[in-house]
Amino acid sequence: MRAGIYELAIRLRNREISAVELTKAYIDAIEKLNPAINAYVYLTFDTALKAAEQADQMLKEGDAPLLCGIPMALKDNICTDGIATTCCSKILKDFKPYYDAAVWEKLKAQGAVLLGKTNMDEFAMGSTSETSCYGAPLNPRNTNYVTGGSSGGSAAAVCANLAVYSLGSDTGGSIRQPASFCGVVGLKPTYGAVSRYGLIAYGSSLDQIGPLANSVKDAAIVFDAIKGGDKRDQTSVDYDYGSSLAECLDRDIKGMRIGVAEEFFEGINTEIKSKIEKAIKLFENNGAVIENIRLPALKLALPVYYIIACAEASSNLGRYDGIRYGYRTSSYTGIEDMIVRTRSEGFGDEVKRRIMLGTYVLSSGYYDAYYKKACLIREEINREFDAVFENCDVLVAPTAPNTAFPLNHKGDSPVEMYLSDICTVPVNIAGVPAISVPCGEDSRGLPIGMQIIGRRFGEATVLQAAHFYEQSAGKVIGDYEGGAGI
Amino acid sequence: MNYEIVCGIETHIELATKTKIFCGCTTEFGGEPNTHCCPVCTGQPGSLPILNQKVVEYAIKAGLALNCKINTKSHMDRKNYVYPDLPKAYQISQYDEPLCEKGYIELDSGKRIGITRIHIEEDAGKLIHESGLTYIDYNRSGVPLIEIVSEPDISSAEEAKEYAEKLQLIMRYIGISDCKMQEGSMRCDVNLSLRKPGDPRFGVRTEIKNINSLSFIQKAVMAEAERQADILDAGGTVVQQTMRYDEGTNSVTPMRDKENSDDYRYFPDPDILRFCVDDKKVEEIRESLPELPFDKLKRYMNVLGLSEATAKQIFRYRMVAEFFEDTLAEGASVKNTANLIVVTIFSNMDTEEEKELFAIRISAAQFAALVKLADEKKINIGVAQSTLQKMLESGKPVEEFIKPEDLVGISDEALESLCKEAIDANPEAAANVRNGKDKAINVMFGYIMKKTGGKADIRKAEVLLRKLIRQ
Amino acid sequence: MFVSSGDLTAAAVRKGVRIMAISKTEIEKLAKLAKLSFTDEELERFTAEFDEIIAFADTVNQSIEGGTEQIRSVDARMVSFDDLRPDEVVPSLPNDKILSNVEGYNGFFKVERSKK
Ligand SMILES: [Zn+2]
Repeated sequence: MRAGIYELAIRLRNREISAVELTKAYIDAIEKLNPAINAYVYLTFDTALKAAEQADQMLKEGDAPLLCGIPMALKDNICTDGIATTCCSKILKDFKPYYDAAVWEKLKAQGAVLLGKTNMDEFAMGSTSETSCYGAPLNPRNTNYVTGGSSGGSAAAVCANLAVYSLGSDTGGSIRQPASFCGVVGLKPTYGAVSRYGLIAYGSSLDQIGPLANSVKDAAIVFDAIKGGDKRDQTSVDYDYGSSLAECLDRDIKGMRIGVAEEFFEGINTEIKSKIEKAIKLFENNGAVIENIRLPALKLALPVYYIIACAEASSNLGRYDGIRYGYRTSSYTGIEDMIVRTRSEGFGDEVKRRIMLGTYVLSSGYYDAYYKKACLIREEINREFDAVFENCDVLVAPTAPNTAFPLNHKGDSPVEMYLSDICTVPVNIAGVPAISVPCGEDSRGLPIGMQIIGRRFGEATVLQAAHFYEQSAGKVIGDYEGGAGI
Repeated sequence: MNYEIVCGIETHIELATKTKIFCGCTTEFGGEPNTHCCPVCTGQPGSLPILNQKVVEYAIKAGLALNCKINTKSHMDRKNYVYPDLPKAYQISQYDEPLCEKGYIELDSGKRIGITRIHIEEDAGKLIHESGLTYIDYNRSGVPLIEIVSEPDISSAEEAKEYAEKLQLIMRYIGISDCKMQEGSMRCDVNLSLRKPGDPRFGVRTEIKNINSLSFIQKAVMAEAERQADILDAGGTVVQQTMRYDEGTNSVTPMRDKENSDDYRYFPDPDILRFCVDDKKVEEIRESLPELPFDKLKRYMNVLGLSEATAKQIFRYRMVAEFFEDTLAEGASVKNTANLIVVTIFSNMDTEEEKELFAIRISAAQFAALVKLADEKKINIGVAQSTLQKMLESGKPVEEFIKPEDLVGISDEALESLCKEAIDANPEAAANVRNGKDKAINVMFGYIMKKTGGKADIRKAEVLLRKLIRQ
Repeated sequence: MFVSSGDLTAAAVRKGVRIMAISKTEIEKLAKLAKLSFTDEELERFTAEFDEIIAFADTVNQSIEGGTEQIRSVDARMVSFDDLRPDEVVPSLPNDKILSNVEGYNGFFKVERSKK
């Protein structure tokens, strides 16, 4: 059984292990395993060891925060001062921000030890992490399969115990889906709960940073550490959660109203369906009230998501022009030509597809038919969620309609890939929080994830339900053997 | 053939806020390249914009001063286009929910030029093209602007100029911008088309970009109207395009077309929340507005009794008007105060800029002390003028130049007896005056001035002398 | 396919009625707006893929009849005037930071106007 953050924190305080020793153990594991798994695309061992020394000092002085000295990883789209942040795109090759993302600033101040930046789909656009310019990370549980995406490296690093926890970003499922594929816990917080300052934008109205961890409790500890309003992100909210969420996980779920919407189960792989149904039974047997509810607008969530996310992305990614940072083409006939060549050489196919779709839905003549209508339906989806949460505390759904794809599975078309986001995107559209927890394995031994969705700023209830399930369901997936033996 | 000009003006005005519209960088002019910059205003990945409150306040001030309706709910949109001076590849602007709408400016003729809308947006950086290289400075990137769009109500070059002039004056008065056209803190784009008189349809219009002086607006409108008239007279059609006015040749020529510049793909900026300014706040801002220039002009003429010419010279410059009113508040008379400003103070200021700045070395109180001496006839206006000049040059108060003893002894009685004395001493000159040789009166003036050390009121003396000579 | 045929969206995509098929010229126009260029072969592939993506997006268009005049984010979060950023200067960053990711010249960003 792998040690959680809380146990590690105790060992660090009891001097059973130092932060430097702990960090070295992870460095050794990364050196051994990362070449095969490709979870990390940039390693920061030197700064990690320095940070660990400082953490030991903080620990010695007493009163250190819970995350002090704990080795962790950041997705490659979270800005780190002086440390490469490339979104796994050629166009941000060698880009080193001169500022920290708000989340990293917070963790750094708490003595976090950054091991490196993790692999992801280029600009977080994808469901397998295979659009990374560094090549795909592999699923540590079975390296013939993908990690999921886009936070695939963050999920793989936690799964393989190459980091105690990691941060990912979730625009349409990019934390929850890889968490589900790799058999770890992934929390997408309420939109606005965590500052986006320093998160390289994909779909600004949907993007949210959250933790991937080995247990619900670890996810709660990390969420506690990164949440909160930020003057530099106007969309962030300084919501008063009352107290530490990690400390109130043990809530009796008796009487908890759990909604089950059939729309979430349409077209879901039967193995997955039966595992989720089994989990729902477990809740019911322990006193939860199961409510069958409807979310009719959900059937349009997927195209609505792609329209809005791509529209925002087409605008957000306009700035990569080779002038101020990143890749610049080597030969050209004029500045306009330089910009076009830089972008055409610097972006991968999936990013180009989404920029093109976004450009299309915003262009004159199509704006009303696509973007505007998508915004209308988004409001309808929000209203449906609001109504549902008047009678339910949480919703339970699958995280993904499938388990991990085999590597290089291209499918029939890009749209087929988009369909795998069906269960996760409604959550981003509505801006509500959701967690993915492992709830079993399919016949190939690949992990299955269950999604628990809450109302806006209802993270406490989501985490409580997830923690209850994790504690009561017993062993639902096999342990990963390997990684840092701690 | 005669055509009717249909013209509207879009004016960009840089707001005089301390910081940029979406970050805390200074808006100060100049500075070494890329030193008034941060991740936000250089479009670094991961940076986010935070709207400056003052920008909203200033735009509302502008709206109120231009008789606009203030939209209490408003949001920012992204205007997408790629150009090296625009670091995010979109300009944050306002599209379908501008802060202010439906106002007007009244011309001297009483005609109203409608204001369609006023919105807030960010400025771009500066490009310098030099020997095969383009250099970019983002110090101006993110400086707040308002764009004021007029209705196509302008129908002559003179009206165009008057509109821009009045707009400039009002904006300066309310203190939201220095509106210096040469320095680019006010820039005008003129839209113009022609149509046959009485024709309700609009002709094809062109847009003349970035005109940087008031007189060029007038000239550009004339030149473009002529150019379009020539095309129409020859049976041609005007091409809808963007033009540039060349002051050297006084001509309007097409600008090189920016490719695809016509599809900006506006959409609400997801990084900036919609904001509301409640009615109470709007009223608070309205109350903070100073008296507007044309209200002031009316008051100067109708209440203070200034001549139109004098009133116009004073109200044109906010600082001058303030100095004028401060002087009156110290108890000085309207007439002498106005005259001394227009005649003496302005003679020290050759340019509009100097009058605009109105940097003088004496205070309104010091000025009032001098004016009051003239008001009380303790010194004549000539002495007041020369003394004022000395005060302006030295920055010293009136007491430095006029001693109390200089002021006594020239009472009305004393002056009358002095006049009698002058006539008695110069009988020949007096006789000449009586016989119509008017210039001879100067002999008596000389006598009086010599006796009083130049301090007698020469106009009063003239009246007395003529009366006494005629007796 | 990892998604069963029962999936509503997939079904909608398959039977989705299209406004019109997207043409190569249109793709080229979009590419110009997006500052991207494609080789002929890429363009062929892309046009075909894009056609399907648009058909997918079109389910949204088909789902609402008529105009969208009423759209305004009614339930969007709003901030009041008092919550906007006060106009207080924050020190800017040193020039070497601003230029840290490129080769500048005398404090400027710099681009050669052509390069072989
Ligand atoms: Zn700045």
